[in-house]
Amino acid sequence: MITTDLIHAVDSAQEITAAANRLRAVVHEEEISPNAVFDIFERWSAALAASDLQEVPGLAFLRLWLRRGTLEPIVLRELGANTLSGGWWQDGRARLRTFPLGVVGHWPAANIEIQPILSLTCALLAGNGCLVRVPRGLVEVTRLLTEKLQEADTLGLLTRRLFMASFDPSRTDLQEAMAQSVDGAMIWGGAESVSQLRRLPFPHWSRLLVFGPRVSAAAMDAKTWGNREERASWCRRIARDVWQFDQQACSSPQTLFLERAESCDVSEFVEHLKKAFEEENRAHPRSEIEPSLTSAISLVRASWLLKGDGNAAVFPASPDWTILLGTGATMPNPTQGRTLTVLVVEDLLDAISKFDGTLQTLGLGIADAAREEIVTRAAATNGVDRIVKLGRMHVFSSPWDGTELIRPLTRVVRHVQSQD
Amino acid sequence: MNLLAEIEQGIDNLLSESPYTLGSEQRCKRLLELLKAEIAYACERHSAYANYIAHWPIDFRNAERIADLPYLPVGVFKANPPLSLVTSEKVKRTLSSSATTGQVPSRIVLDAATSRRMGKGALTIVRDFIGPARRPYLVIDTPENLAAQGQIGARGAAIQALRSFATEIVCCIEPVPDGGSHLDVDRLLASAAQWKDSEVLVYGFTYVIWTQFIQTLKQRGIQLNLPNARILHSGGWKRLQQLAVTREAFNRDVASVFGCPTASVIDYYGMVENVGVIYPDCEYGNKHVPAFAEIMVRDPLTLEPVKPGEKGLIQVCSVLPTSFPGFLLLTEDTAELISDEGCPCGRKGPSFRFAGRVPKAEIRGCGNLESTRQKPAEMVGVA
Repeated sequence: MITTDLIHAVDSAQEITAAANRLRAVVHEEEISPNAVFDIFERWSAALAASDLQEVPGLAFLRLWLRRGTLEPIVLRELGANTLSGGWWQDGRARLRTFPLGVVGHWPAANIEIQPILSLTCALLAGNGCLVRVPRGLVEVTRLLTEKLQEADTLGLLTRRLFMASFDPSRTDLQEAMAQSVDGAMIWGGAESVSQLRRLPFPHWSRLLVFGPRVSAAAMDAKTWGNREERASWCRRIARDVWQFDQQACSSPQTLFLERAESCDVSEFVEHLKKAFEEENRAHPRSEIEPSLTSAISLVRASWLLKGDGNAAVFPASPDWTILLGTGATMPNPTQGRTLTVLVVEDLLDAISKFDGTLQTLGLGIADAAREEIVTRAAATNGVDRIVKLGRMHVFSSPWDGTELIRPLTRVVRHVQSQD
Repeated sequence: MNLLAEIEQGIDNLLSESPYTLGSEQRCKRLLELLKAEIAYACERHSAYANYIAHWPIDFRNAERIADLPYLPVGVFKANPPLSLVTSEKVKRTLSSSATTGQVPSRIVLDAATSRRMGKGALTIVRDFIGPARRPYLVIDTPENLAAQGQIGARGAAIQALRSFATEIVCCIEPVPDGGSHLDVDRLLASAAQWKDSEVLVYGFTYVIWTQFIQTLKQRGIQLNLPNARILHSGGWKRLQQLAVTREAFNRDVASVFGCPTASVIDYYGMVENVGVIYPDCEYGNKHVPAFAEIMVRDPLTLEPVKPGEKGLIQVCSVLPTSFPGFLLLTEDTAELISDEGCPCGRKGPSFRFAGRVPKAEIRGCGNLESTRQKPAEMVGVA
């Protein structure tokens, strides 16, 4: 199997414009049904499973995401059965049909290895062409992942619809050229990058899906964290959620709220959490760290403990992980770097009532379904978009950030026949 | 003897040593016990500090090396009120760091004893580099920084630390009514003419020397003809790097204006939190650690000390302060450890070279909630 490099080192606005024109021509000339995309994605998932890329963070999620069993229900829900079967459907005297936007630009965040792929899959499912700016740090991993797509897509049905560009993010001319060339965009990232990207000169008709910036938290009721038999299992789930994506994802828990229980000793729980963190760290040690993150971790450890007020902490001599323990219903500013603040709160609803739209995912461990219903409603009302079981905080699905992932990348065209 | 008295005795013994003659092993052994006593003393005086120490992963009382003792990151000195081990009536001076615009400065409190040791520590170090003689002292700064008392900035502290070398002091920068300042060239030339071949001590912040002193004199083609001047400067290179001024160009131009050898231009590293300790460059370009202090360069990945030739975060240690818990501090600077022991210049102990500031930690990725309140100057993107 000969593969060509799908990622292009771009140095001129003309290259981007030309690529977008080529993609648009492909979209206009060749319609592709969601079913055809499912088939290729299924083969792509299998190729990834058989690859030596298992250490890529999030690969298991990506493989699962690419399965027909995952995507078909999403497309059905978002686009309806008519789109899957193709063609127009009647709507009174008119008929409707879904069309792709055209070319969708993707600006993935630099901290999630699989995000360029996740982003472009949404646009491909809607039948679009994809112009993807691959962050510099993700070029190699994205290249390896897309090589597996090339293996799965022997006819090039999808790879023809992809142009992946790598360029210095400070090249305003290239960012602008990319924005001007697209009919829609998926923008992922932190506050600064998202704000700057939104200011790019997109055509007035283009649709922007902006994801980020958000933070996430976890919460457990007393019955759950107090249950000695299940405690180790819950702690492993929390550790997994903290470790994944090095706690830099919007879905990474930064704070864990524990509902106070007179009969349960929180330090006993933290001891279990410490073991889970040590275990996770053994399995997934860091290979590098920014010195500024080490400084930030050292500072938050000291600042937390110097506050006194009964604050406690558990951490090794290295910056590998940190558990800060205290009381209160307000989430402190996140430090990231596998730093989890555990706050004991009288009532989980006290903490949830302070949430706002910055909170994306709430990972829950609640023993009673009726109680979970109350917590879920309160969280959703206060701006939380995803409420999931602990250990599943990063499972990518639609809707994400409260937004559908595929329908916004389509246009529903209405046709009223002129003969009528 | 109470704990504080024992500590003070130990500090005085180390301060009376020649600063660079103790070998690493001998120095560390003496420092370890003294630092342990200082930590114990600080825990008695400050319950929140004691809370921090109690949670350190290694019990300091059982530590067998300085590297295992609990250190504080320097950022904690930005707290308000400042961390203090003495009551407010005992605070003689408060030093603040030279924070750049928008940053919160560090503040440290000095009682009389710590203040005295700060002066003695700096004096001992500088004497080793320029000799013990008193001489005219040219301050490339305004008189306000020389005269400041009570609340003193980093510049003032650095200027004042050298005044005991002075037979007379001349400040050659003058404030002007609009709030700026300018070089008083007439006064400078008059002093230079008077001092001629004498030994002269000169001090200024690196960027002040370059922007207000050297540039003015170069433009006017003035050379001071002070061949025996020793020019000490500190404050960092960040602003000069922004002006694309290299260390070599700086040394060359300063030496040219003074009419002295480039070896007489001495850069030193220091910070207000590491009270009484400065790290001048030796003639081999290395920085050294005096008997009453220690330095460690820690690998950011493990926080373990690195081996010679490797870079990492600088941890400074000093036994001098007893008015604030500044014995063991993890800085936000990086350095290369040159040697564990010794330098061709003859000074014993570890030597290192400053590598740069750690950039401000930023929350990364889609978990970054920091809003952009300022319009960025250039497109940054997401990578």
